[in-house]
Amino acid sequence: MPKAKIVAIDDEAEFIDMIKSYFEPRGYDITVAVRGTKGIELVKEKKPDVVLMDLKMPGIDGDEVLSLLKSMDPSPQVIFVTAYDDGGKTKARLLKMGAYAYFDKPVASLRELEEAVNKAART
Amino acid sequence: MSLLFPISVNFISICALLIGLFILFSNKRSSVNRTIFLVDFATFLWLYSYSIMYTTADYDRALSFMKIGFPGVIFIPVFFYHFVLAFLEIKSSVSRVLLYLFYGISALTTVFLYGSNYIASGLYTYHWGFYPKAGKFFPVFLIYFLTVFNFCISYLFFYYKTRKLQISQRRLLQVKYLFLAFFVTAFTLTDWLPWFGIKCLPLGYIFIFMYISITAYAIVRHQLMEIEVVIRRTVVFAGLLASVFTILVLPTLLLQEYIFRAASAGGRLLGLTLSGVIIILSLRRIENFLINITDKYLFQKKYDYRELLRTFTSEVLTVVNLDKLVNLTVDKLMYIVKIDSSAVLLLNEEKQQFDVVAFRNVKDPEVSLLRPDGIVTFLEQTHGYLLKKELADRKVYIPPSIQEIIDKLNAELIIPMVLHAEVKGILSLGKKKSDEDYTQDDLDILLPLARTLAIAISNAKLFDELGKTQAEAAQNEKMAVIGTLSAGINHEICNPLGIARGQCEAFLLNMKDGLYNNKSPKELLIKAKEIMTKVMKETDRATAITKKLSSFAKPAKGEAELVNIDKEIDDVLGLVGYELKLEKIEFEKQIEKGLPDIFVDKKQLQEVLFNLIRNAGQAIDEKGKITVTAKQDAGRVAIDIKDTGSGIPENKLKELFNPFFTTKEPGKGTGLGLFIVRQVVEKNGGRIHLKETKMGEGTTFTVEFPVTAGQKNRV
Repeated sequence: MPKAKIVAIDDEAEFIDMIKSYFEPRGYDITVAVRGTKGIELVKEKKPDVVLMDLKMPGIDGDEVLSLLKSMDPSPQVIFVTAYDDGGKTKARLLKMGAYAYFDKPVASLRELEEAVNKAART
Repeated sequence: MSLLFPISVNFISICALLIGLFILFSNKRSSVNRTIFLVDFATFLWLYSYSIMYTTADYDRALSFMKIGFPGVIFIPVFFYHFVLAFLEIKSSVSRVLLYLFYGISALTTVFLYGSNYIASGLYTYHWGFYPKAGKFFPVFLIYFLTVFNFCISYLFFYYKTRKLQISQRRLLQVKYLFLAFFVTAFTLTDWLPWFGIKCLPLGYIFIFMYISITAYAIVRHQLMEIEVVIRRTVVFAGLLASVFTILVLPTLLLQEYIFRAASAGGRLLGLTLSGVIIILSLRRIENFLINITDKYLFQKKYDYRELLRTFTSEVLTVVNLDKLVNLTVDKLMYIVKIDSSAVLLLNEEKQQFDVVAFRNVKDPEVSLLRPDGIVTFLEQTHGYLLKKELADRKVYIPPSIQEIIDKLNAELIIPMVLHAEVKGILSLGKKKSDEDYTQDDLDILLPLARTLAIAISNAKLFDELGKTQAEAAQNEKMAVIGTLSAGINHEICNPLGIARGQCEAFLLNMKDGLYNNKSPKELLIKAKEIMTKVMKETDRATAITKKLSSFAKPAKGEAELVNIDKEIDDVLGLVGYELKLEKIEFEKQIEKGLPDIFVDKKQLQEVLFNLIRNAGQAIDEKGKITVTAKQDAGRVAIDIKDTGSGIPENKLKELFNPFFTTKEPGKGTGLGLFIVRQVVEKNGGRIHLKETKMGEGTTFTVEFPVTAGQKNRV
């Protein structure tokens, strides 16, 4: 089974770099973007299985990106990886909007994230 | 015979009158003062008339002046007797009867003096002038004279012997002074010799003057200001006047005697005219000079009081820093009242005791006066003062505990500082360096001063508390702000750590999963190095933000240093930057090249920038820009914080810097921000103002700090 195609969007280049250094050696097709708008273009272009995305980003918010993506093409699963915490309210809202999963930053386990990505890719 | 003799007699007669009047007016109601005035007045009458009698060449004229003056002598004994009765508070009927008898005898003698030759049978002509000749009954009068004085001295002696142990030190001293006065007066007895044709210059007036001075001193001392000052003042002033007069007259005389002798009448006239011109020209100046001199050296005490009042009203009472106020009080009291120790004690409400808060030369500054202590109770109940010497004089029993406190404070005078009928503090004054006692004059100044101090101290206390409250409020606000920044802080600390951890985890998992198996050890090392560099970078990031945060959270030390504005803006941005980013706010910084450092408290500058940038951010609803500009302008560094936010409504502009004013929605600010910002800016020598604001377009605040001399551009 081929590895999932991933697009990662985060304003923090260091974070993206870290994600890449885990997924890339494992054969995932991962492309990255540090801006939400650039991310949307990437998604259009790459048609990934999974989008890993931060919630709060300059320029455009994660949930805007989410609704945009869903309106464009509902197939890519969106997994939020974010430090934003308002007691679960946003999390619930995003999941309702169609997000696949919600991970807290810092990421406690890359393995778990990978599992979530694989699961999302299979759906 | 020179004129010196009659002039000095005349001069002393005037002194006697002045001293008598002074005593009378210092306490008109006291019979002691009234009777001593009578004695002094009689002395004046006697000496004044005699001085004229000595100078006149006309026998009849001299005789009539003798008859005016001698009744003074006739009445001196009875007046003095009257005084002794009043002073010793003798009210026995015998003494009363004797008093009336003596008055009768003196009156009768006066009648005889005028109506017959029995007292004075004429005048002798001595080299110093005319002098009365003893009549037939003169010896009888002399016996009467001595008898009355004998009574007086007996009364005093008896009083001293029997009451020595009961009366106060002060009174004992007064009696001793009176004895001394009598002893001196005995010398005046030689004045009786010329009555009998014995050529002996009547110098009794000198002793009379000493006697008057001593009695005046004995009566007035401890009651009022030091009499010696008055005496010295009078004597020196008159003396100086006389000597200057002599100096002026002398050349005229010399001119007359030696140069214009031949010219006789014409020369004399010229000499007189010359001296007259000199006197007219210089009198005013000499008078001023004398007044200045006497004022300067003899009225020094009065000056000091004026200085005390002036200093306290202008320099001390206006101080609002409590610590400074009490220390200044102690210093100025020491310096102006010239005392060897001083202390201020203030009520510690919590412990209900008075603690020393400022002191000089106090034996034990740790001493505390508990509320129920004797001294405090006394002060609280009477609102009066406590004078150590007075307590000793009155032989008041002082409990050892109180004695100990007085000793520890090195106190001579203890005054309460009363406000709203409550003792708020205690002023302790040590001995005067001059060793003089505290007088009523001192107390008249010091008691109201203490009351005024109570007000000033209570004001200063309020100010201190207000300052503390404000500082606390500022700190609370800061902590609250940090709390609301948690997202940013989380981002800035947790994210780097999370990334670092992720890098390590990825590396380890890659190893475990055998993903590096095809790599050579060298390649693996390069990979590890790469990871470690990234990890280090991230941990450094986290450390930096932690440092910034803890430094920001600490209260400022209030120490100024040279601060680089550019760097401080960056540091503040480290704290608020992420929040701004989240709000989609762009941030721009324009620092003029070669901008000099400013001399301020670094942390306080951070606070100011933090608050202003954060306010700017909060003023922006949706997307916008904050521009911070710093440039040098006319010796000042001006920092503009400009936002593209909503602007401030015109009706709110006035209240902008008031505490608790806010336009923010509830929960977003306590309103202390700008109020505290302004205080902090001003404390650092700067100013802040609203440069411009337009509804819907934004606001610009300007903070300015002086570029002080000696601090040049960094470049």
